[in-house]
Amino acid sequence: MNGHTLTCENLTIGYESALGEPLTFTVPPGSVLAVVGPSGCGKSTLLSTIAGVIPARSGRVLIDGVDVTQLPTHTRKVAMVFQEPLLFPTMTVRDNVAYGPRRSGASASDARSTAEELLSWVDLAGLGDRNVDQLSGGQAQRVSLARALAADPAVLCLDEPFSALDAPLRSRLAADVLALVRRTGIPAVHVTHDPDEAETMTGNNSSGSILSL
Amino acid sequence: MTAPTWLRWAWIAPAGFLLAFLVVPLASLAGQVLSPGTIEYVSDSLAWRVAGLATVQALASTAVSLVVGLPMANVLTRYRFPGRRWALALATVPFVLPTVVVALAFRSLVGSDLGSGFLIVVLAHAYLNMAVVVRIVGARWSTIDPRLDIAARTLGASRWTAFRTVTLPALGPAIASAAAIVFVFSFTSLGIVLLLGDSTTRTLESLVLRQTSILLDFQAAAVSAAIQAIVVGSVLWWAARTRNAISGGAMRTFRLRRPLGSSRWAVGIVVAATVVIVLAPVSSLVWSSVRSSSGFTMSWWAIFAGFETIDAGSTRIGSPLSAMARSLSFALITGLVAAAIGGLAAMSVLAHRLGRAFALATALPLGISAATLGLGTMLAYGRPPVDLRATGLLIPIAHALIAVPLVVAVATPTLRSTDSRLVTVAATLGARPSRAWWTGYGPTLRTVMIAAGGLACAVSLGEFGAASFLARADGPTVPLVIARLLGRPGEASFGVAAAMAVVLVVMTTTLVAAVDRGGRRS
Repeated sequence: MNGHTLTCENLTIGYESALGEPLTFTVPPGSVLAVVGPSGCGKSTLLSTIAGVIPARSGRVLIDGVDVTQLPTHTRKVAMVFQEPLLFPTMTVRDNVAYGPRRSGASASDARSTAEELLSWVDLAGLGDRNVDQLSGGQAQRVSLARALAADPAVLCLDEPFSALDAPLRSRLAADVLALVRRTGIPAVHVTHDPDEAETMTGNNSSGSILSL
Repeated sequence: MTAPTWLRWAWIAPAGFLLAFLVVPLASLAGQVLSPGTIEYVSDSLAWRVAGLATVQALASTAVSLVVGLPMANVLTRYRFPGRRWALALATVPFVLPTVVVALAFRSLVGSDLGSGFLIVVLAHAYLNMAVVVRIVGARWSTIDPRLDIAARTLGASRWTAFRTVTLPALGPAIASAAAIVFVFSFTSLGIVLLLGDSTTRTLESLVLRQTSILLDFQAAAVSAAIQAIVVGSVLWWAARTRNAISGGAMRTFRLRRPLGSSRWAVGIVVAATVVIVLAPVSSLVWSSVRSSSGFTMSWWAIFAGFETIDAGSTRIGSPLSAMARSLSFALITGLVAAAIGGLAAMSVLAHRLGRAFALATALPLGISAATLGLGTMLAYGRPPVDLRATGLLIPIAHALIAVPLVVAVATPTLRSTDSRLVTVAATLGARPSRAWWTGYGPTLRTVMIAAGGLACAVSLGEFGAASFLARADGPTVPLVIARLLGRPGEASFGVAAAMAVVLVVMTTTLVAAVDRGGRRS
């Protein structure tokens, strides 16, 4: 498996003051680190720090051994999926998914075929021309996932992406994401407040680990 | 809701007012346009040349307003920092200042080097209208989820690309809407172009005034006003279409963000720039009111207060203090008329099944320029057989017409947000329909009417366009006296004009601030 590795070394996070102790962990290729903890403990802040949305207070973030701590967000190749789909409202479904490839220089037609391929993978083939406000909540979240994957990320950050979905859909998407992570070798950091979901996402610890904040 | 019977007929008074003072003047204007010989006037190249000049000027003013207003909208409506509300209120101040005051302030600030011409007119228009951009675009910006920008950046977009590809398209309709309004205000500008402009900045509005008051060619003026109305109507129609195209979905306002990292610098720079941009012309105005070539002086204030007389020269200025008294009395009448008519209109919008259509009709004066309104009123009621100019009522009536849409805009949503079940409760407790209605809506209505009346007073105090057409030579309002003083040479004229302008600034901003405060409380 030609995957990527995410490493955090003595990473301290927080806006104004440090949240908790310095964190050190490694997420090997194709595995999931499930981060659990109560509200306000810094789970989402950890993801934002890994993605470079907010600066680390101290410590380092490394991807494949390269220190990316000082790199701007758009060059890190850390894609995020949020609790809400956050689809770009002025774009069609296809243009949303093609957004990442276009930013990395893909031609319009290549970006389009990547988008169609990923829309098929999330069972939304044929919906590319729709406006995003014509999607159900579950469909929108699957488009959001496809959009993140289309950007060819080195790391996937999942910020409670299934919490707004109903239970059957949540289980199915969790299983799909886990399979994808294993297949592509993209390390994923999955934030959740649900211990059961953390167990599922780590394949009951067979393909990942749980970090409690 | 148990509505009293009379409420169903409340629309009659505002409808009659609009018919008498909007429809009849516009019909008089149309009569002039449709009379023989119009074709020659329409093909007259002067009106088209002026329309072209005004278009170029208005486009430039719109562009500068957007360049100045967009960063302010971003910072003032999306970030959380100490003094944010104060800075937002400050950015709105220029919009409520009378145009002649802004013109005087700019002349005072830049001196005679940039004293007149295209650049200064464009800058003054941008100063007046940047609040339109801040308010309209800012309102939309605050409903755009800031995480969309983060999502774009995690997908490989730089800050600029994320702004260009995600934020800007979402803001597009709001920007178009604000741009259309700024364009219309600049295209129909009168006070600024008369006081700061030259031959390159003429507008159809100033042409109409010249054709009416100097050339006495009412037909040519009517044709110029009609050409302007067509341009303005087309732009507003386009803006309405763009706005409708935005559509959809419920919008929510997102929590203000704390600026982090480089954003802190950006916020600091924009706030500092806002303070400087807004306060520099106003401070310069205050300074001009106490400065003469020999240093500090209170002479201009003494002349204003009537303790000294200003050199009459060849132009009759009249007493500044009596102009102030006249403006205040006009403002008071305007406030009373606009509050009564607007209040009844708002009640009708609420109670009548054709309420929405009625609301649209009451908004009509907003789309009609001061010159069109002033000329139409003068054609209908300012010359025999019906000459109301001697009564002194034409100016407050025209001002009330301008203010009624604002009163309706303030009163209707507030009345709508009042819980109508209060009326039902009062009725079930034995109140007659009128008493029950007043129990439910009376307290809100009273507060709203006072606030709306105050707003109408502020509009009247600073209004220049319609008053230019309707004021008698011996009965000018304060803005007209300021304009006359600026047309005279000598530092005394400028100093007295500055003193009068300072008083106008204090009065209008106090009124608007009181209305805003009262509105927020209610």
